[in-house]
Amino acid sequence: MAAADVAQRFRDSLADLKASDLKDAQVMDVLKLAQQLTDTMQIFFSSLDKSICGEFAYIADYIARTRDEISKLRPNDIKEQRIPSAGKELEAVVGDTERATETIMSEAETILGADASDPDAYKAQVDEAMMRIIESCSFQDLSGQRVSKVVDSLKHVEKRVTRFAQAMGVHDANADDDEVLEEERRKKLHLNGPAIGGPEHDQGSIDELFESDLDQNSIDALFD
Amino acid sequence: MAVDTSMPVLIVDDYKTMLRIIRNLLKQIGFENVDEASDGTEAFEKMKKQRYGLVISDWNMEPMTGYELLKKVRADEAVKSTPFIMVTAESKTENVVAAKKAGVNNYIVKPFNAGTLKAKMTAVLGDF
Repeated sequence: MAAADVAQRFRDSLADLKASDLKDAQVMDVLKLAQQLTDTMQIFFSSLDKSICGEFAYIADYIARTRDEISKLRPNDIKEQRIPSAGKELEAVVGDTERATETIMSEAETILGADASDPDAYKAQVDEAMMRIIESCSFQDLSGQRVSKVVDSLKHVEKRVTRFAQAMGVHDANADDDEVLEEERRKKLHLNGPAIGGPEHDQGSIDELFESDLDQNSIDALFD
Repeated sequence: MAVDTSMPVLIVDDYKTMLRIIRNLLKQIGFENVDEASDGTEAFEKMKKQRYGLVISDWNMEPMTGYELLKKVRADEAVKSTPFIMVTAESKTENVVAAKKAGVNNYIVKPFNAGTLKAKMTAVLGDF
């Protein structure tokens, strides 16, 4: 491509970028501009020094590969489809669980408050309530399927992000200030949440710990 | 002297279902005068207006956690002697020790049953 043509494409891209909104420039636009810039400069410098020309060719290839990897990451699909869909599935799980719990609690409360003076009527009432409790437990099947879909989506996102990070040699930046502050707050307030696979200590272990006479040094050591 | 089961009990949890479960369990073991709060802030406001014979609180709530509520209660002259039981899914050693250090009277890990609740209430309040 002639230098004049490349320069014209570079000017056109720059004009488009300025016309859109420089404060909100899209990564792909910037990469496109950067690629055209290196193409332009490559032609200019090739007349001066062959080694510089090679360097620019390498940079141009790298930028092209970056664009390619970003496209393969499919960030719009993740942002607009995968994550919202997973969020809706989890909201549905919460809703299904709440409705089932409401039914089970109401039926249990009805049985607890039922008049047992007539055994036959009482048994019929208990049987009906038990059937409604059993029916409402079907939420578990639906919830299981919904959670599986969420897990699949997360695995899909993980696969794409991992591939992108490996291809681009990405290293983790430091967490932003808000994340650091929230992490410190959770640590200070001992907000650990439920342990996976049941409580870290069962009630018996907690009773032993609670009733033990921990001296100050032992307590302090746990907080260091 | 036996515990007066008509005394007001304040239960604190941000999940309505858990409030309902604890209310039912308390009813089963004879305590029907039960009040509810959905986090530490609401609980402390209620405690400043009414004297409770027992507080049963979850740990992980927003904006004020049960742990913060416990420390606030123990630092307030008017309510500092209120018996306080933590009922929580937080089961790490550091949580139990922190709660004990802050002045909790007993500690129940979720999930729990009426027997455990009654045993801990007896340990804190005496026989009923």
